[in-house]
Amino acid sequence: MASSDQGQIRLAFQGFRDEIDAYNDRRERLIKASRDITNLSKKTIFLLHRLVLEGDASLDDKQLFTRAAKKGYEKLHQVQGIYATLKPELEGDRFWRYERQVSPGLQEYIEALSFAYYLEHGVLIPYNEVQKSISDAEGEPYFHLTVSDYLLGLSDLTGELMRFSISGLSRKGGRRKALEVCAFVRSCKADFERFTEHIRDLRKKQNVTNNSLEKIEDTVYAIAVRSSEYDLPPEMLDDIVATVSSQSNPGGGEDDL
Amino acid sequence: MEAADLDQINTLLDTDSELRERIKDQVNEFDKKTRLMVATLNKIHFTPPDTISALLDTVKSVIVGCQSVTKGLAEIVPPNQFWRWKDMWSNSLKTAVFASVLVEYLSSGQLAGLQQVSDQLGMREEWKDRVSLTVEDYLHGVISVVNELSRLAVNSVTLGNFDQPIKISHFVKELFAGFSMLNLKNDTLRRRFDSLKYDMKKIEEVVYDVSLRKLATVPIVPST
Repeated sequence: MASSDQGQIRLAFQGFRDEIDAYNDRRERLIKASRDITNLSKKTIFLLHRLVLEGDASLDDKQLFTRAAKKGYEKLHQVQGIYATLKPELEGDRFWRYERQVSPGLQEYIEALSFAYYLEHGVLIPYNEVQKSISDAEGEPYFHLTVSDYLLGLSDLTGELMRFSISGLSRKGGRRKALEVCAFVRSCKADFERFTEHIRDLRKKQNVTNNSLEKIEDTVYAIAVRSSEYDLPPEMLDDIVATVSSQSNPGGGEDDL
Repeated sequence: MEAADLDQINTLLDTDSELRERIKDQVNEFDKKTRLMVATLNKIHFTPPDTISALLDTVKSVIVGCQSVTKGLAEIVPPNQFWRWKDMWSNSLKTAVFASVLVEYLSSGQLAGLQQVSDQLGMREEWKDRVSLTVEDYLHGVISVVNELSRLAVNSVTLGNFDQPIKISHFVKELFAGFSMLNLKNDTLRRRFDSLKYDMKKIEEVVYDVSLRKLATVPIVPST
């Protein structure tokens, strides 16, 4: 083989090396960003759980939840800020190349966002709203939201709602709320079921949703059985429960589920 | 979920699965061609040197025939979605790269570069975000060529071609040096690269046997 040919092979592989290095570097950057986003989103979820239990007597449920949601959105602005900086990394055909690195953080973000949205509106956040939240002021998306990430993020919401309904039981109106959440999670599960044939991971997550739903159902069942023993209106029961739980546990009867 | 939202999601998902079906049709077409290439190339192990060029021409025409598949894919895949769907045809493409690189080596003794293979398969620069040949797929194809050449080194001796193993040895060493320059992470490419040393060992053994018996006419050490 001629020497010029050897040089050519070397030169070609130098080019490959540069390209592989660039890919790995960008991949690492996106994994780090995704981890930061996951962290911020988890913190937002904890924040929301805390805020809905910190009711002061002057606020009704709607005011309390809206206030919590607003604070949640504020915190999620940080995540949106990160996505804004990632825009050039995910431009053009790059988004799909790095989709697997972006997905985990994005799903966690959607979980947090949809939790806040549920507290404010009592419904699932629509696809367009999520896409809008990761777009700039002109409505230009930082990147395209995939249906799969959207649905998988929403699917995680059901677990948060289970915690939300059970830990809020001792609150005033908490039992009524639990019934509401129960019906809502049930309808989510039914809605998601239609999509499982298209999105494989969703099928796995449906099992988790099932478990969450069962826990809520058991709780709601216990409420129904026990309240049937007292022929009292729900508000009076609320007062009794509130008195008892404030005596036995000054920190508020938080359920550890 | 609101009915309108449900419908929107459903439409999006249906579009995707329809797309997947159409890509699958192209991949089936692609696979038919790559199977034919592999079957034909298998004959290099028992084809005497004087008839090999006819064999290579047959394979070449099949490779060029893949251009219709490339064009088909470029028409089906939506803009910017290359990386979303590429796994569907990645295996077929790696096989086509293998065939193209092997044919070029057997014809000219040269390594067909990524651009050359890409052109032969009918890839166009303006289709880059829909269909293209990635470095990774290309390198997979090249590694398959090394695997095949280690077999050919043995079989060419059987056919009485004693120079072939020595030429192959030079070529493969160059490639190995090239691969060693890459910072590969722990993926399949890395594992396949690690396995190249067994191919090299096999080729070296043949070179040893041939040179020990002074059967070869080309120098063992490259002239450079």
